[in-house]
Amino acid sequence: MISQIKAEVLKIRSTRTTLGLLLGMIAFALLFSILPGLLSHAAQLTGKDNQVNLLGIGAISGIFAALAGIMLVASEYRFGTIRPTFLFSPNRGRVFASKVVAGMLAGFVFGVVAEGLSILVDFIILRARGISIALSGGDFALLLVGALVGAALWGAIGVGLGAIVPNQVAAIILLLAWGFVVENLVFGLLPSVGRYLPVHAQDSMIGLSTPHLLAAGLGAVVLLAWTAGLGVIGLSLLRRRDVN
Amino acid sequence: MDPVVESYGLTKRYGTVLAVDNLSFKLAPGTITAFLGPNGAGKTTTLRMLLGLARPTSGHATIFGRPYVKLEKPATRVGAVLEATDFHPGRSGRDHLLTLSRSVGLPDSRANEVMELVELEESAKRRVKGYSLGMRQRLGLASALLGDPDLLILDEPANGLDPEGVRWLRDFLRSYASRGRTVFVSSHVLAEVAQTVDQVLIINHGRLVTESSLQDLTSRVGDLVRVRSPRLSELAEALNREGIKTTASNDHSLLAHDTTSERVGNICFSAGIPLHELVREGSSLEEVFLELTSEVEK
Repeated sequence: MISQIKAEVLKIRSTRTTLGLLLGMIAFALLFSILPGLLSHAAQLTGKDNQVNLLGIGAISGIFAALAGIMLVASEYRFGTIRPTFLFSPNRGRVFASKVVAGMLAGFVFGVVAEGLSILVDFIILRARGISIALSGGDFALLLVGALVGAALWGAIGVGLGAIVPNQVAAIILLLAWGFVVENLVFGLLPSVGRYLPVHAQDSMIGLSTPHLLAAGLGAVVLLAWTAGLGVIGLSLLRRRDVN
Repeated sequence: MDPVVESYGLTKRYGTVLAVDNLSFKLAPGTITAFLGPNGAGKTTTLRMLLGLARPTSGHATIFGRPYVKLEKPATRVGAVLEATDFHPGRSGRDHLLTLSRSVGLPDSRANEVMELVELEESAKRRVKGYSLGMRQRLGLASALLGDPDLLILDEPANGLDPEGVRWLRDFLRSYASRGRTVFVSSHVLAEVAQTVDQVLIINHGRLVTESSLQDLTSRVGDLVRVRSPRLSELAEALNREGIKTTASNDHSLLAHDTTSERVGNICFSAGIPLHELVREGSSLEEVFLELTSEVEK
């Protein structure tokens, strides 16, 4: 199992794809940390709720972690490396579990980098503009832990999604459509349902004050349940499907 | 000695198409066996089932006495390449090998050794997208050799190789098998492998057509006579009446089996059938291969 995880981590490190995702995420996190921090009226940046919203942008790492997770599975189908992978390790459950671990490691790194950057950058900006920091140490801890645990789980969700939809383009479109369209629609229309969906579960994990969200702890449990559910479906499909 | 590979009634159905139909065979250790058949005959599907990538509709296969997926560290016993293009284009050749060798706990030095073995050490750190098709074929072979296996299974390894590459492959397989190891190599062109193999397994439409030594196959070839005539069906009847087997060759000629041109000529003369051509076919293995794979279609 350890050897297989090492191999999966090498797969992530040995192409530029994941590095590109990481750089894209850093650019994204910096942009949306700096612009609102500099351009918003001071009144919109005072108080705990506004500041959690501002500093919580690093949670965007979840989407990028999910993309990395998808590619851990789907790019193997795309380029055919799934064949040698399964020839060397016919125990598909072990391959899947190793990919989940590798996806979570990547997600963890993504989460630390993105949330670390947005906390750092916006903290400096708020101080420079003379706006007093309304967040307690606990609020900061929740932001950071919520973002990086969330990103790690999203990495695993991506692996599950890639196993369910091994066509890389289709899996990515599905993820983005779900994250940016479907969930927002459901949450807007039926918040009592929408708050149990994965993106909103993660929003609750970093302590966002949006009405109707779950408590942070419950949000983490819900996101974990999504991860496990998609993982079980993905694993059973991966085991059953013939490799062409 | 126990067979290295055993297939018992392997069958794979895709919808209404029977890709592999009740295929049974055995491979003896220390042999090089060609797995022959036209494109679409079911060779790759058979190999996928042998290697646990696809599930048979019925039947089963074992390698070293067990299903492939039940082998302990299969890469150290079986080296297989199914597609020459199974690489991430943005990953270096050496890293590709490391993703495989590390997954089964082989030392990294093994990747360097097989790179040297297939003469790719100069390009080890280059991304695969810069590799020629021949280099990719050799990188695939290198991945199969990582675990120093006793059985090599290669699907169309000569595809897209230039003549020099084909010769390299031939020499390589010979030296590999000379140490008592077993090779199972598929091809749709008999000529590609005729100088390398000692056994042939021919399939068509998913069914086993012939299982023999190359020597037996070659000896079948000598007695083939090609006859061209405007009255082909009468000719076939006349020959069949005399107990001579015939197969269609093209619109104007047929092949008479296990006979001589003298005998065919005499039969035509007494039957009053005009002959436009009467040739004893040379030892063309390709001819016998085509003949064997077209016979089943009748």
